[in-house]
Amino acid sequence: MHSILNTITLMLEGTETTLQIFLITLVLSIPIGMLVSLARLSPLKPLSWLMEIYIWIMRGTPLMLQLLFVYFALPMAGIKLSDIAAALLAFTLNYAAYFAEIFRAGIQSINRGQYEAAKTLGMSYQQTMRRIILPQVLRRVLPPISNETINLVKDTSLIYILAMNDLLRVARTIVQREFDMTPFMVAAVFYLIMTFVLTWIFKRLEAHYGKYEV
Amino acid sequence: MENNTTMIQMDNIYKSFNTVPVLKGISLEVKKSEVLAVIGPSGSGKSTLLRCLNTLETIDDGTIKIKDEYLAKSVDHKAVYVDKKAQKRILGHMCMVFQQFNLFPHMTVLENLLEAPIHVKKMAKTEVLPIAEELLRKIGLFAKKDAFPSRLSGGQQQRVAIARALCMSPDIMLFDEPTSALDPELTVGVLNTMRQLAEEQMTMIVVTHEMGFAHDAANNVIFMADGNIIEKAPPQDFFNNPQEERTKSFLKNMLK
Repeated sequence: MHSILNTITLMLEGTETTLQIFLITLVLSIPIGMLVSLARLSPLKPLSWLMEIYIWIMRGTPLMLQLLFVYFALPMAGIKLSDIAAALLAFTLNYAAYFAEIFRAGIQSINRGQYEAAKTLGMSYQQTMRRIILPQVLRRVLPPISNETINLVKDTSLIYILAMNDLLRVARTIVQREFDMTPFMVAAVFYLIMTFVLTWIFKRLEAHYGKYEV
Repeated sequence: MENNTTMIQMDNIYKSFNTVPVLKGISLEVKKSEVLAVIGPSGSGKSTLLRCLNTLETIDDGTIKIKDEYLAKSVDHKAVYVDKKAQKRILGHMCMVFQQFNLFPHMTVLENLLEAPIHVKKMAKTEVLPIAEELLRKIGLFAKKDAFPSRLSGGQQQRVAIARALCMSPDIMLFDEPTSALDPELTVGVLNTMRQLAEEQMTMIVVTHEMGFAHDAANNVIFMADGNIIEKAPPQDFFNNPQEERTKSFLKNMLK
């Protein structure tokens, strides 16, 4: 009994690291992704191309490789980051690219007539985006954003290669030490609880932002 | 009905889409309180003409004057537009009603009406609210003020779109095939709202396929084909005694 409690306490600490990476990455990468998508759709071609290259690199290479690059290669170039900062940088850059593509799809799915109606009513570009387009985009992108967010919870387990003690690494350490598979079960339950809560939150958000639909 | 103030003057308007000419030197004038119906086969350039008036499309050459202010001027066979600030002021005289309504789906009927007066004209909500509610009563949709557009029929949505435009108190209303997306039985309410507006002396350009509306509500009818104005006449002459062969055959086909 003692050992189970002990295991759970250790794993809760690991969960804290997992949640920390998850939440900070989410809070940073969603607004950055939004800005990247607007830049990607910009009529300024060089800006648009730059964003396309950024998205191509982030989606075209493994997240694990990006983590290793930030953690091992940047210090060689004289940029030293703490473990957690390195992890956050890599996760944020990676997820912002995916979110940017989701937002781009959302923005492009809005009918041209919405822009035209706003224009003929005298609204500026900023007003049109902020008050007319983005609220509708938000509603449409919630399902894919929810998908990516759940992926992020699970992707945080990659930080084990940076020797950070997240939920999965703690579980593995205990399993290797005690030859008992229970910690894996506990870890699975913890991940399921986290993704269950997220699923519930996104359901509520979809109902809230979708109230104008039939 | 109409008086002599010129509200809209277009001279020698040329417009091409990727080298395909759509407007080939169109000129027209609309007086205050005039209702001008524009008819013609699809692809004749009538919607483009309307969209050029409020810069949803830009013209290649020609002159556009709204209420005696230049929006665009022809210089060396190229249209030169006035600066953005002046454009915004001039375009403020006009509002448009679209074929597909284009209501803002995430806002209620009332919010659709309040949006532009509050955020563009910077009016106080207490100031706009009575105007918006009065307009909704007038179109018979006050009871729907808190409904979202998706809950309304197409005809109701289009009447709300008209009210939303009127809430900006424009001097000129542009209608781009306002009933073409509606089931026939739903067009009546929209056309009645437009007739009422015409009786209240609103200056209107209406691109339409509704020959009945053009016949009874318009002061002048223009027939367009292939980017040109083929014929312009008051409705009695236009429908009873068309002069041009193309007008005759178009009307014959429409009335089949």
